[in-house]
Amino acid sequence: MFSDFAYLIVGLPVLAFVLCLFFGWHLPRGGGFMTVLATFVGLIISWGIYKEMPALPNGILHQSMPWFANFNVGILVDPLAIAMLLMITFVVTLIHTYANAYMDGDPGAARYFAEAALFTASMLGLVYSDNLLQLFIFWELVGLCSYLLIGFWYRKPSAAAAAKKAFLTTRVGDVLFLLGIVLLYNNMVSLNLHLAPGEYLLQFPVIYKYLALIPPTQLTFVALCLLGGAVGKSGQFPLHVWLPDAMEGPTTVSAMIHAATMVTAGVYLVARMFPLFYAAPNALTVVALVGAFTALFAATMGLTTFDIKRVLAFSTVSQLGFMMAGLGVGSVVGAASVGISIFHLIGHSFFKALLFLCAGSVIHAVGTNDMREMGGVGKYMKWTAYTMLIGGASLAGFPLTTGFFSKDEIIVTAYEYGLAQSFIPYLFLVLAAILTAIYTFRLWFVAFTGEPRSDYHKHESPWLMLGPLCILAVFALGFGIVAQGGFYDYVGTNFDHYGVNFAELGVIGGHAIEDAEGVAAEGEHAVAAEGEHGAAAEGKEGGDAGEPWYIQILPIIIALGGILVAALFYYLHKFDPSMITSERDPIRKLLLKGYYQHEIYTQWFAEKVIYGTAIVCNMIDIKIVDGALNWISEVIVAFGGGVRRVQTGVVQNYITAVMLGVVVLVVVIEIALQVGFV
Amino acid sequence: MIPVELYILLSSVMFTLGLYGLVTQRNGIKLMMCIELLLNSANINLVAFSANQPNANGQVFALFSIALAAAEAGVGFAILISLYRLYGTIDLDNINALRW
Amino acid sequence: MISNAITLMIAVPLIGAVLCFAAKSQARIVALIASLVPLFISLQMYTGFDKTSKLMQFVESYNWVPSLGVKYTVGVDGIGMPLVLLSTIVSVLVVIYSWGEHDRANQFFALLLLNEVGVLGVFTSLDFFLFYIFWEIVLIPMFFLIGNWGGPRKSYAAIKFFIYTHIASLIMLLAIFGLYFTYRMPDGSRTFDMLTLIQATSDKVLFPPALINLIFAGLLFGFLVKMPAFPFHTWLPDAHVEAPTAGSVLLAALLLKMGGYGIFRVILPMLPNVDKMFVTVIAIIAVLSIVYGAFLALAQKDLKKMVAYSSVSHMGFVTLGAVAFTWLSIQGAMFQQFSHGLITCVLFMSAGTIQHTVGTRIIADLGGLADRMPKFAVLMLAGFMASLGLPGMSGFVAEFTVLAGSYATLPFYTLIVIFFSVAITAAYHLWSMQKVMFGPILPKFLDVHDAHTYEIASMTAFILLIILFGVQPALITDIMGTAAYQVMEPVKTLAQMGVI
Repeated sequence: MFSDFAYLIVGLPVLAFVLCLFFGWHLPRGGGFMTVLATFVGLIISWGIYKEMPALPNGILHQSMPWFANFNVGILVDPLAIAMLLMITFVVTLIHTYANAYMDGDPGAARYFAEAALFTASMLGLVYSDNLLQLFIFWELVGLCSYLLIGFWYRKPSAAAAAKKAFLTTRVGDVLFLLGIVLLYNNMVSLNLHLAPGEYLLQFPVIYKYLALIPPTQLTFVALCLLGGAVGKSGQFPLHVWLPDAMEGPTTVSAMIHAATMVTAGVYLVARMFPLFYAAPNALTVVALVGAFTALFAATMGLTTFDIKRVLAFSTVSQLGFMMAGLGVGSVVGAASVGISIFHLIGHSFFKALLFLCAGSVIHAVGTNDMREMGGVGKYMKWTAYTMLIGGASLAGFPLTTGFFSKDEIIVTAYEYGLAQSFIPYLFLVLAAILTAIYTFRLWFVAFTGEPRSDYHKHESPWLMLGPLCILAVFALGFGIVAQGGFYDYVGTNFDHYGVNFAELGVIGGHAIEDAEGVAAEGEHAVAAEGEHGAAAEGKEGGDAGEPWYIQILPIIIALGGILVAALFYYLHKFDPSMITSERDPIRKLLLKGYYQHEIYTQWFAEKVIYGTAIVCNMIDIKIVDGALNWISEVIVAFGGGVRRVQTGVVQNYITAVMLGVVVLVVVIEIALQVGFV
Repeated sequence: MIPVELYILLSSVMFTLGLYGLVTQRNGIKLMMCIELLLNSANINLVAFSANQPNANGQVFALFSIALAAAEAGVGFAILISLYRLYGTIDLDNINALRW
Repeated sequence: MISNAITLMIAVPLIGAVLCFAAKSQARIVALIASLVPLFISLQMYTGFDKTSKLMQFVESYNWVPSLGVKYTVGVDGIGMPLVLLSTIVSVLVVIYSWGEHDRANQFFALLLLNEVGVLGVFTSLDFFLFYIFWEIVLIPMFFLIGNWGGPRKSYAAIKFFIYTHIASLIMLLAIFGLYFTYRMPDGSRTFDMLTLIQATSDKVLFPPALINLIFAGLLFGFLVKMPAFPFHTWLPDAHVEAPTAGSVLLAALLLKMGGYGIFRVILPMLPNVDKMFVTVIAIIAVLSIVYGAFLALAQKDLKKMVAYSSVSHMGFVTLGAVAFTWLSIQGAMFQQFSHGLITCVLFMSAGTIQHTVGTRIIADLGGLADRMPKFAVLMLAGFMASLGLPGMSGFVAEFTVLAGSYATLPFYTLIVIFFSVAITAAYHLWSMQKVMFGPILPKFLDVHDAHTYEIASMTAFILLIILFGVQPALITDIMGTAAYQVMEPVKTLAQMGVI
């Protein structure tokens, strides 16, 4: 029953977008309730579909219709998609509810809710697209909405610039994504498949089915191109620069972008195309390295920032790195890594949304983003402080919170990956995890404890804002412990519904050989490869038991140690940061300057290289291309100017010429007659 | 009967004189006179040939030509008079505003 | 169904143009009616169009100069039909956009209508003689639009436009004569019939390589200048910068499409018969137009000039898709013609409206206009997004289809285009958008008002159409699909031509 209304999950937010855009101006709070309602109904429908799914053929919901040429539009809801759908509709409903209070009184509230509704619709559409092209379309619409929302306060030059930067940076990734689609499409075409009616080349089930026929090198190209798109959208190194700047939008936008929507799209893309990455030689290695490096790189930057939202932004980049790395280490654990990574994604979306909304609550009250001006906020905003503490604990991986389970799983899997291939990702992730705990609690201690460092407006936020915080706090705390085992099983076996044979793909990707060498991964990979329902997750757990005890408890030590360090520095003030570093310390300067990214990306690359090329082209156009044209016309004009001198305008000259002509003619004719020529 | 060659001789002398004047002179009125000479030499030819071969066609054309010459002289002198009023000269070398 | 639909469609604006001259003050009403009638007819034709037929439809043929083999033959197929639809839509909306034109309004609207006559004629003629006449008719109204209503350097721009494109037309005419004087009908008479002559070029005896290459080069030059493609594009920015807004819109939306139409109608069917080198040459021209045009647009300081160069860049996709010669890419290129026709209207109208209301188009002098012109800002943003290829709008469908189709035969060129144009295109659109619309409003613009209702109405209509065809491209591509097959009928792929 609910399955027939799957299109409404996107349809209703689109409707809310139109209604808010045209009528929101006349409604209280910009018609925000419509946006909330639309998303909430989407949540109900998603839940209904989730309940109905086991009864559907193959356990998935697939609807499709032709679009144009040989492309289609369609809906595909499988365990992976439904997990995302439920998370997005749930978190975004809460964020929209919160926004109703947060944006109250803003003259552009109607515009905000319209754009937010479109943003939600795009993200939901992205998640349950049944083909890569449609996914790309919604992907770009997400980019558009982020552009609109980050630049929501467009009168502020920094907001307008940040919006442009976000769009352009992700666009660079999208170039690769587009290329990936083009490559994949042409590879599929060249297979000369005989597709059944209703099957289209870019549909995911069709891609999974015929993946193994594509040459492995081509697969790697496609996978790396798709990864490029994911790197742009999910803010991975080196295209992460837009994410911290994206804080220019309203805080609710940051919450949406960083928690539920947009940045998760990149991870989702890699998860969605996991069989392709798995089959492509070396592709997952790149994913793992990019993810792990980003996790560490962003965490170091999170340490030195004082803007409360930017700290959270860097933590998002870092956590996305965890998710990417979680997928990347899938080369040793197979499809189970999708479950691990998506579990972290969903857990992250709860606690990150919570953190952002708390930060928004603080900013709403204090009126600044700068932590140094806060201090002691906890005294006046009890609810905010405690919910944020829960969020922070979850982010830092405090035992038994959601973040602990999900991050722990990724780190342990990275250890297995280390045994089989390389310990670099593991090393990076462990370091990043320590730093995460430190900067998270640095944030909390600096902002919420101690004495007020400026004269701010001390009041708690309204209940319309606190309600969502509390609900999210419950999930940030309890989701992990409740859902962990079942979730891995549910999402990790996603591709079994399509009959994807990971053993065969692993041979193409060259993982099977490495597995034979790798000790820890051997057994479980074989199990995962069999593709039996639930077998992968069991294999996974079996793998866990095989780890040494110190690897098992290391994450706990990391989290507690990090929190302790932060407490020593910023709560108990036993140490002072200046004891470690000085103003002239090059590492400190490097961190404060954000690794000179602004200088490299904006000032050097964008302004010098790209704009410089444009100026050179313009010179060429004016001087050479148009210059040649003008030169030709000048030559012609000059020739005409010379020739017209003959035309003196003095009739006597003409008469003389005519006479001479007659004389010459007479002479010529006479000679001709004499010679007998005529 | 005067042989036709003499008429032709006369007309060619007249034509040459007219042509010479046309090429060498700069004064507008002199040019007009030279043009009249050219036209009249042609008229002499027409009448002479017409008389030579008993046929009135040539004389008819001569009359046409005289009428045309009169009209042409009228227009020409009118132009010259207005030029004189405008520039104070009828030396055609000085009247070159439209040249190039 | 209306009989003689095409003739009627061409005749009504022609009569309307004459009436406009006479109408004086009410010219705009006459113009609106005279452009609505062709729109109605073309919609009728669209609904009655047989999407599966490979034949010309709505054909009318009368002898005109039988001794020379000149006929009045008109008809449309999948190549012409979308462009006819585009022409009639754009003409109506341009008349609406120009509702406030009071300077010699009767002449102005008459010229707009005359332009429609010429363009519709080009897209429907099936006789080279007739085709050439319409091709040249188009120059005249545009020349006067630029020359009379243009900016400070209008006479330079008008003459440059006229001479440049006219020389190209003459070279094209020579090539047409080359076809005409070589081929004889079975009964020994000469013909100007386009389809017959193009078909005849496959005859290797009649058209030896040297001759057919020369003819092909001449035709190609004529069409590439009109499109315009690098390096023959330099007339375009000058003409656009000086032209009045309505003139720019017509120029970019319709006149450029004549070049593309020529490519599909004439060049592609001949492509298998000429030297293989031409494929490489055209592909290089296409890629340079796209990439170089995008970089040029980035360097511009004048908003309208930027938009003009973006046209060069976008029309390059038409050339690329056409020469890649796959079913998908040709379809994409045809759709790009249609889509760019709609999108560029919004862009030029945006530049024009800014010029009318604020008095300058120099990007550096503008700022924060969204504050005072919110409705206009939304429309301009939508237009810019469409132009940078945002999915959900027609531009994306076209460009994606071109790229996906072209990769199969021209992978290297397609890669260059994807790498160097997609992001740059986004960059110059967003950069100018930010400078012009966002940020704090400059004090000198505090008393600026929003765009006029008729301007808003016209732009809104375009945006809605762009979204409509972006969401449901099948409305147009269904028609084009058959035509794309037909263009490729003699040879299926470049591989079979021995190019790759």
